[in-house]
Amino acid sequence: MKKLFTILLLVISLTSYSQCVFNQSRTITPAGPYSPGQVVTVDYNLGHFYQLNVNWIIAFQINLGAGWTNLTPLVAPIGGGSQSGYWLWDLQNTFPSGLNFGPGWRFVNTTWWGNPDWGSQSTGPFTMRFRVTVDQTCTPDNLSISMSVFGDCLTGGWSNGACCSDPAYNIYNGVVQISPIITSSINHY
Amino acid sequence: MKKLITILFTIIGLVTYGQTTINPDTVCANATGEQYFVTNTPTSTYTWTITGGGGTLQTGQGTNSITVDWGGVPGLYSNAVYVFETNSSNCPGALVNLDVYVLQIGLPVLGPFCIGDPLAALGGTPLGGTYTGTGVVGNDFDPVVAGLGTHVITYSLGGCSTTINVTVNSNPVTGPIQHF
Repeated sequence: MKKLFTILLLVISLTSYSQCVFNQSRTITPAGPYSPGQVVTVDYNLGHFYQLNVNWIIAFQINLGAGWTNLTPLVAPIGGGSQSGYWLWDLQNTFPSGLNFGPGWRFVNTTWWGNPDWGSQSTGPFTMRFRVTVDQTCTPDNLSISMSVFGDCLTGGWSNGACCSDPAYNIYNGVVQISPIITSSINHY
Repeated sequence: MKKLITILFTIIGLVTYGQTTINPDTVCANATGEQYFVTNTPTSTYTWTITGGGGTLQTGQGTNSITVDWGGVPGLYSNAVYVFETNSSNCPGALVNLDVYVLQIGLPVLGPFCIGDPLAALGGTPLGGTYTGTGVVGNDFDPVVAGLGTHVITYSLGGCSTTINVTVNSNPVTGPIQHF
């Protein structure tokens, strides 16, 4: 009875949170805060993607605050194990579900028997790197960075829904550091 | 020793930060090449505007230092000079203003006098200035003190000055009455 109760609680827990994303980490170089024109490199790592209900990982979306510009991919996701397809850098893509994706990397499944909108069979780890620049601005614009990881249940590639509620992983929070312009009083020789 | 150190620090301060102009600034009517400046930030540009006093910006737009030629209509002109700084990110700073008082001083023609004439008021305008020159006694001209000849009298106020020439002649010499 105790065992049954434990299993029941576990199932309820998995259904409620549908968490497939585990062990995320990031390195951001140099460390903030940031000023206009500064170039920042971000390394993101997803330790493990749990394939709940055969839900496969399909996309990494980079969410940037308005203060960033010049997002540049440096290293595409490297998933552990075999993957039938490739990770494509994309600025925008609308998935069959209507999900508007981008920018980031999305997996294009190339198996002859499958669907391009199925994700990758890999469970990780995935490492990737990108670079962003602080825009030239006069206001303390938002410099947040976060990563959203999508399973193919979100994209319409797989209908066995799960892993649809993993929150975006916060990489950086801050605003552009603006140096005040202090002009002296006018002097007359 | 303490005094010496104080003076030294004052001099260092003036050299480092430059002079400070009291607002409003005073300029002489029709002055030319008057130089205005703010502390320079090498990566910034400076946009100057002259809005009153008949002033025209002559040189230095974009830099921290300009020259201005002023007009001849006296009076106080609010915000006659203003500047804003734009930094290397193209962000504008706040406006910095300077009021300007255009000062027109005058000294009426005086004389000629005869030696021995009484004191005459010099009558410089506006009031409050100082008179210099041979024969000046306070705010008056004294032909006796001045003596014979032409004398340059200067009236100075607020850094501006004007001059007049005042002549003192000898008294006419009348000969004895003759009978034809």
